[in-house]
Amino acid sequence: MSCWSCNGPTVLSTSFCGSCRRIQPVGRTEDFYSLFDLPREFALDPGELERRFRERSRQLHPDRFAKAEPKERRLSLERATRLNDAHRVLKDWRLRAAYLLKLAGQDVFGQGKTFHDPEFLEEQLEWRESLALARADGDAQALSGIAARARFRLAALEAEVAAFFEDPEWFSETVVEIARRLSRARYYDNIVADAERA
Amino acid sequence: MARAIGIDLGTTNSLVAFVDARNRPQVIPVDEGRLLLPSAVHYPPDGPVEVGASARRQAPQRPVDTVLSVKRFMGRGPGDIRPEDRGISRFDEAGQVVRLVVAGGRRSVTPIEVSAEILRVLKRRATEALGEAPGGCVITVPAYFDDAQRQATKDAGRLAGLEVLRLLNEPTAAALAYGLDKRMTGTFAVYDLGGGTFDVSILRLEGDVFEVLATGGDTHLGGDDFDRVVAAHLMARGLTPPCAEPTPAVLRGATAAAQRIRETLSSEPLVEADVELPEGHRLSARLDRAGLEALILPVVERTSGPCRDALRDSGLQKVDGVVLVGGSTRTPLVRRHVRALFGQEPLADLDPDTVVALGAAVQADALDRGGRDDVLLLDVIPLSLGVEMMGGVVEKIILRNSTIPASATQQFTTYADGQTGMVIHVVQGERELARDGRSLARFTLKGIPPMPAGVARVEITYAVDADGILQVSAKELTTGLEQAIQVKPTYGLGEAEVEAMLVESIEHAEADVTERFIREWRVEGERILSSLESAFVVDGELLKATERGAIEQKMAGLRQAMDGHDYLAIKAWIESVDEATKPFAERRMDKHIKMAMAGRRVEEFSEKARTTRTDEEAE
Repeated sequence: MSCWSCNGPTVLSTSFCGSCRRIQPVGRTEDFYSLFDLPREFALDPGELERRFRERSRQLHPDRFAKAEPKERRLSLERATRLNDAHRVLKDWRLRAAYLLKLAGQDVFGQGKTFHDPEFLEEQLEWRESLALARADGDAQALSGIAARARFRLAALEAEVAAFFEDPEWFSETVVEIARRLSRARYYDNIVADAERA
Repeated sequence: MARAIGIDLGTTNSLVAFVDARNRPQVIPVDEGRLLLPSAVHYPPDGPVEVGASARRQAPQRPVDTVLSVKRFMGRGPGDIRPEDRGISRFDEAGQVVRLVVAGGRRSVTPIEVSAEILRVLKRRATEALGEAPGGCVITVPAYFDDAQRQATKDAGRLAGLEVLRLLNEPTAAALAYGLDKRMTGTFAVYDLGGGTFDVSILRLEGDVFEVLATGGDTHLGGDDFDRVVAAHLMARGLTPPCAEPTPAVLRGATAAAQRIRETLSSEPLVEADVELPEGHRLSARLDRAGLEALILPVVERTSGPCRDALRDSGLQKVDGVVLVGGSTRTPLVRRHVRALFGQEPLADLDPDTVVALGAAVQADALDRGGRDDVLLLDVIPLSLGVEMMGGVVEKIILRNSTIPASATQQFTTYADGQTGMVIHVVQGERELARDGRSLARFTLKGIPPMPAGVARVEITYAVDADGILQVSAKELTTGLEQAIQVKPTYGLGEAEVEAMLVESIEHAEADVTERFIREWRVEGERILSSLESAFVVDGELLKATERGAIEQKMAGLRQAMDGHDYLAIKAWIESVDEATKPFAERRMDKHIKMAMAGRRVEEFSEKARTTRTDEEAE
């Protein structure tokens, strides 16, 4: 690889040329983790992610290139966009898990795929019913209770997903088990939103 | 190097500020020596357009020809006009965008043109104060402005001959001014209640990065609503002779009286007034603070929902501080309401009227210098962006409160055998159904090769830039040919125009490249036009009237070419302008060399330029 500006050699996955310090295009091998120099793992220190996000934003944001050449402005916009997209995905455990599966070639939620979960149907109906009831009564306390219970379930799902990722024995069912939990998490997220916005 | 300026283009008042040589942001006096330029534009049936306090004074006598609070109509269509707006202004509702009928019915103007009049005055005052045309500007917008409103604001800037470096959200601008002034760190809520818009933003300030975590608001909520309810109340009680359908003149007079009474009640417990209104009416008013508060309470309470939503979306339980912005936050009831909402005493140490402009100036200066040691702002998109699916349901592609710039892609396929076109309807908002959201653009992607249903792969990419403005591109993947098109959704742009652009790009494989050339040459054209305009201001006296006329003719040609889609035409016009200005450039060079040799300083020259301009204006 060589720099578009000074033709000097550049290292893959770096934002700036080592010789002329010009911003470089996003490389094909860069993924959301490598943008932050973080290992491809589910476990992640949120404080560290935020610190690196701020640090990289300070270098790459288009505001730093407002007066630069059009090409540099375009590259900065590309890089900052990608950084923000990566940050959005990595900071949310559901998106992070789905992204790790996708990197492993298992795009469980791509292209309108939905996960079938017949055993969960019964439980869904119960949640809906209690939500409708609390709403009809205008019972704020019941609603916040529902939200709290759904949050509790979400925390449990996150812990389970984390355990799957940490398990060195990776079976093909593992993917299904994680996908099932992500699909359920989506459901509990809606419950929380509905209960809090009611 | 010309200095960049920050502009607060407000519903009621507008301001311009810059960062001085000692690194302090300063507001430039603009209107009869005052810092605030009333956002009022008067279009008389004959004679020049008036802007500012003099225009606002015309409002009661010439209600239809005087446009106030034009910001409410930015990026809006005739269907968005509210019943309460119809009492005073007259509209031309034939087109896609709101048009106001002014100048005694002789002109119809868009909100973009009206805003550009205000911006031109600010630019002129800034040019006088700085001694040269500003090098670029940051214009603030309510955080809750959607894509169409942002686009309209940017267009107004361009129309006024300004290089818009960035659109900046008003609460973020205020936070920037506060943060720098008070050296704050932690989490903050900015509660911004202006004349016509309400915004709330939750920010985190850490390590020289200002990160907006969540934002919310209402683009039709502000001090204007206070005045309207107070005016309606006073007219129902004390209008003599009473009238069921008040004329525009009476309404304007009563609204102005309501505003004065309301402002007086911020410091006095009781106001009694007998006001003369146009057309032989009188308004006798008696209102105490409790009465006022009972009237405006429902309006103030409408700010609670957005505040709670924003706090929840930010993921925080509470914030470390609350900052008040906007003239309407001077109202004691508003302050009490904010204190109750956030459970703490709000900060108001900086003047709520000027803090946004000061923050805009700081940001303009930072952009201008591209400085790496300045603070950085990370803002978010206020409303989700989606696409309409079968059945009118919206599929959200970029969620609200995503940090910008941001992008996301979604794949679609055909639902009929041999289908060669696909309608793409771009929608902004949180509602589930497309008809409830704001329609940004609707276009048909044509040229998909015929194949069985479900085989074609069309990838739609949404990309939001740092101004919060969206670009949509569509790619057909199955043929291996990546045909990319860029659509800049502009509210009111005819479907036929957008479609024509798309068909063209699908048909010609290099179309995306062409589009980029057009953009690049437009930028170049803009740069040349604005640098010539600044040169006219400083060295205009070097040209005879006929010479200047000839140059201006070429500039008009260039402007026209820049509106078109032929980049070769733009290039040709640029060369032609260049040719026409050669003698002018040579004389300027001579003059500046002579000046330098005579030991005169550039400041003296600007001084002279300023005097000349004032003379022109006096004529």
